[in-house]
Amino acid sequence: MRLPINYQIAATYLSSKLKQTIVAVLGVTFGISMYVFMNSFMSGVNLAQNRLAFSTLAHVRIYNDRPADRSDLVSRVYPAGTIANIRNSKVIKYTDGIKNSSEIIHYLHTIPIVETVAPEVNINVFFKNVGNKVNGTLSGVDVANEDQLFRMSRLMEQGKWKDLAFRPDGIIVGAELAKSLSLKVDDNLNILTADGVSHTYKVIGIFRTNLSSIDKTKAYLSITATRQLLAENQDYVTDIQVNVIDFKLANQLVHELAPVLSYKVESWSMANAQLEAGSNLRDVIAVAVSLTILIVAGFGIYNIMLMTINEKIREIAILKAMGFSGFDIRRIFLTMSSVIGLVGGFIGMGLGYIVSRLVNQVPFNVAGLATLPMDYDPRDYTLAFTFGLITTFVAGYFPSRKASRVDPVTIIRG
Amino acid sequence: MERPTILQVDNIIKYFYEPEKFQVLKDISFSARKGEFLALVGKSGSGKSTLLYVLSTMDTDYAGRLSINGEPLTGKTQNELSAFRNQHIGFVFQFHYLLPEFTVLENIMIPALKLKRLSRQEIEHKAYMHLETLDLKDQALKSASKLSGGQQQRAAIARALINDPSIIMGDEPTGNLDSKNSQTVFDIFREIVTQGDQTIIAVTHDEDFAANCDRVLELSDGRLLPHS
Repeated sequence: MRLPINYQIAATYLSSKLKQTIVAVLGVTFGISMYVFMNSFMSGVNLAQNRLAFSTLAHVRIYNDRPADRSDLVSRVYPAGTIANIRNSKVIKYTDGIKNSSEIIHYLHTIPIVETVAPEVNINVFFKNVGNKVNGTLSGVDVANEDQLFRMSRLMEQGKWKDLAFRPDGIIVGAELAKSLSLKVDDNLNILTADGVSHTYKVIGIFRTNLSSIDKTKAYLSITATRQLLAENQDYVTDIQVNVIDFKLANQLVHELAPVLSYKVESWSMANAQLEAGSNLRDVIAVAVSLTILIVAGFGIYNIMLMTINEKIREIAILKAMGFSGFDIRRIFLTMSSVIGLVGGFIGMGLGYIVSRLVNQVPFNVAGLATLPMDYDPRDYTLAFTFGLITTFVAGYFPSRKASRVDPVTIIRG
Repeated sequence: MERPTILQVDNIIKYFYEPEKFQVLKDISFSARKGEFLALVGKSGSGKSTLLYVLSTMDTDYAGRLSINGEPLTGKTQNELSAFRNQHIGFVFQFHYLLPEFTVLENIMIPALKLKRLSRQEIEHKAYMHLETLDLKDQALKSASKLSGGQQQRAAIARALINDPSIIMGDEPTGNLDSKNSQTVFDIFREIVTQGDQTIIAVTHDEDFAANCDRVLELSDGRLLPHS
């Protein structure tokens, strides 16, 4: 009761029509809690998807791209109009893989945002188990770094990832691939390379990433064994996989490396535009749905404020007669709507948190998840609160302007 | 001793534009002195209420000059006029127009809380004094909507008096009351002017009320009749 008179009047109006006030507050509460929940859920999904994607995808990949198409060399040298007859032209790849890989790896380690560097030798091969033939990718890896990058040891269904380092004859295969070739641990698996080299390895482990395209087609060898298989030198590498401290910094690293290295430097988002598109679309949907709800709540407040003002139009006239200015009247009604927004906002953030917690408990056994994913980012909460306040302010502004323009003479004289 | 002029009206002209252009007030000039009790009478449609609302500063759509307490008010902004009304003018209408959600005491205190000249305790003390003189002290903490018609009108008078205005304006202040309550309201008004600091201008139909005033201004077809 020690508030300035304008706020006192606003407080009295709010408390005397408690039911109406509660309805208005509930509208905002619902809008804000939905905003919090939708955005938490969507960013939870995005995070889960990123986690899943980064279980097989490095932030940045460096590799030797195909050389540009140079089949029409004649026109570069001879004037236009020269008739040339070249048949069956070929693109010649001068270098295979990455030269001086150890130098590049050393350089990568000096960049502060780089976390892990893992060299790989990737080749396309046929996996053969007697009659069954499946084509896929054979990855020769640096066992310790690969584990750091993709946490391979956690993905193992059978066998130990680390054994790969000590077993030049050992191979670790994807779970689906093992199934389609009827392979078990300790079985033999024959590899046939594109160059026609055939070699038999012993299955020492089976992994599962939950990405079926990987599980169906991939197998791991140690990098040394792969170089031997290809008869390549000890510096031979086809890909260098790099993780940075935060996946959002991947493009920064690309910009730093691309001018220095003569190889293709590609970030995860370039290679997988659909991942980013998917997460952006989900964000748009979340914001659209929750803003719609907030706007509906805003119309509710607008309506209630207009009703209140029509009901109290004589009182507004008398307040003006007694010396309240249009500004005072506007402040009274804006205070009312702001209080509705603030109270609804705080309750809404709480309710949003509770709903998020509850949904986070719902079992969801797909792709390595146990429950529905959820993210608890304070930014979502502050944004929801801010949007709620803006909505209620706008919804209160127009009715309050109407109230401030009430002409006391016409109302009092009737 | 001649008492000072409190209200000065010069050549007020006002038109209504709806439904068609019509001159309601035709060149009205008069003045009121401090401590005077004036009645504004006239037939329905004579323009007496319209004149009162021009004097009240709420209606600013007129030609001519208006000054209260020597302060020219014509041409001031709405916000300046609100502040002026708050301090210098008290209103009593035909209906009490108390705010039903507030207690009688709060209703009376509102204009003073707006003015902020006194502390809350002082305002409350003053409101109680007015309630006491108007015989409403027992009703102070009741909701304004719970009072009888006569009590409500007395509470409205207390509200008009709280800021010690120079002028109290009444629009049919007894129009909705029975004769006993009308007499009470008239006696209160008489008491106020007797103290000599405040002027009352009231629009009225009530012939007894008008007859007992210090001066009667009669309007007819928008003109002030010469005898007044």
